[in-house]
Amino acid sequence: MSKSNQRTIGTRVEAHDDNNEIAISAHGLSKSFRLPTERSWGLKQALFNRLRGIKGYRDQQVLDNIDLEIKKGEFVGIVGRNGSGKSTLLKLLAGIYYPSAGEIIVNGSLIPFIELGVGFNMELSGRENVYLNGAILGFSNAEIDAMYDDIVKFAELGDFMDQKLKNYSSGMQVRLAFSIAIRAKGDILILDEVLAVGDAEFQKKCNDYFDSLHGKQTVILVTHSMANVKKFCDRAIMIEKGKIACEGSPEKVASAYEQLWS
Amino acid sequence: MKIPRVWDKRNLVLLKELTKTDFKLRYQGSVLGYLWALLRPLMMFAILYIVFAKLLRFGGDIPHYPVYLLTGTVLWSFFTECSQQGIQAMVGRGDLIRKISFPKYIVTVSTTLTAVINLLINLVVIVIFALINGVTPSWTWLLVVPLVAELYLLALGIAFLLGSINVKYRDIGSIWDVIIQALFYAVPIIYPITMVAETSVWAAKIILLNPIAQVVQDIRWSLITPATTTTISFMNGWAELFAIGLVFIIFVIGALVFRKRSRFFAEEI
Repeated sequence: MSKSNQRTIGTRVEAHDDNNEIAISAHGLSKSFRLPTERSWGLKQALFNRLRGIKGYRDQQVLDNIDLEIKKGEFVGIVGRNGSGKSTLLKLLAGIYYPSAGEIIVNGSLIPFIELGVGFNMELSGRENVYLNGAILGFSNAEIDAMYDDIVKFAELGDFMDQKLKNYSSGMQVRLAFSIAIRAKGDILILDEVLAVGDAEFQKKCNDYFDSLHGKQTVILVTHSMANVKKFCDRAIMIEKGKIACEGSPEKVASAYEQLWS
Repeated sequence: MKIPRVWDKRNLVLLKELTKTDFKLRYQGSVLGYLWALLRPLMMFAILYIVFAKLLRFGGDIPHYPVYLLTGTVLWSFFTECSQQGIQAMVGRGDLIRKISFPKYIVTVSTTLTAVINLLINLVVIVIFALINGVTPSWTWLLVVPLVAELYLLALGIAFLLGSINVKYRDIGSIWDVIIQALFYAVPIIYPITMVAETSVWAAKIILLNPIAQVVQDIRWSLITPATTTTISFMNGWAELFAIGLVFIIFVIGALVFRKRSRFFAEEI
């Protein structure tokens, strides 16, 4: 096939350099997705397209030439409209997607919370889900044994742990997921819209947790809440149409964000 | 080139938890639970035994024919389960793949390990059946371990290769189901290979070059009776090497394709 059918691939490097004070850097980072054009899904259509020389897909550029540098201990907010590319950026940093071009260097261990309760299974009990979700976050059974009581206490689910997850309310599920998530120990935390969970009292616990991270841990937070950006972040970045549109103090970025609609 | 850290502690914990979950969920909500792991091949055996051994009178001159037949059906069930579920593994765990970065082969391995556990349970049943049937234990029983490993490697290689294509083209899973149906008749499970050899020596040779047939016959030979016609006894050591070599080639190709494609799974699934 022609060369245009080849995907170019960027690089993602993981390092553990204690002397380097940069936690994450990205240079010329781009990502495009191959979206199938009409009726090109499935093997038959793929063979048919190939025979007729039709590509069967188009490339959608989601991120375009992003440069980014995050220092150790920084709390950075990433904001942008729906579809601006901020979640894609997060998934690239977390290693879930591979960049189409450019380079990412991650220095230190990284814990991604793109979503809470990854791998949660409705047919398993709360207890079993703690061990499963814990394993996904990189904990050994012994480590979970040691913190199990704290997780249950924080989630306020003492009497429910042997119930199947499908019998939990959605609030209870999120509380359990959050309680496991905050135990994760890494150098860099990546958080996507997980702030708004639970009732007012639980929200306060969450806010206390974010406050406790401040200054101790590198955090990248994707959010739509400008209040949270101003409250927690040292610096913010606004993505618009796949490019960095504004970067700087939380106040500056928050006002730029609000101008998007004016 | 980065070699996956297969023995990384974190990956092992994840593999263990995912396997445990798969095994727990497989029979969840059924009254007989784990017993189904035993009942399924036993029932398939009962049907085949009645049809082929009693009605059609296959295998008249093979000693311990019931155990011989049971071994074949159990190994076939294992290969089917392992390859079919392995191919669907990525799609079945799409929730995980979309949300977290981890070595994807863990999912394929954990899914197929459930089939391995089922096989181990069934092998115990075969040994009990064999002893009841009057088979004398022998040192050749130990050969079952590398032979089962060979069959697992083949199923895993197919799961890697077809599973990575199945992420994008879901037709692959359905195509494989049909191939499995056809393959069943190309492997001497229900008929003795000697029956084929009587009509066509060439057909029997081609059948025995298939690694699945080679493993099934070798396990019958080592476990039940040296009277079994194997790839070596029917042809020679080169034919045996060809079958084993084919397994390694399929596995290596499968693993390489899987590794190359796996970086796009999260966006394609």
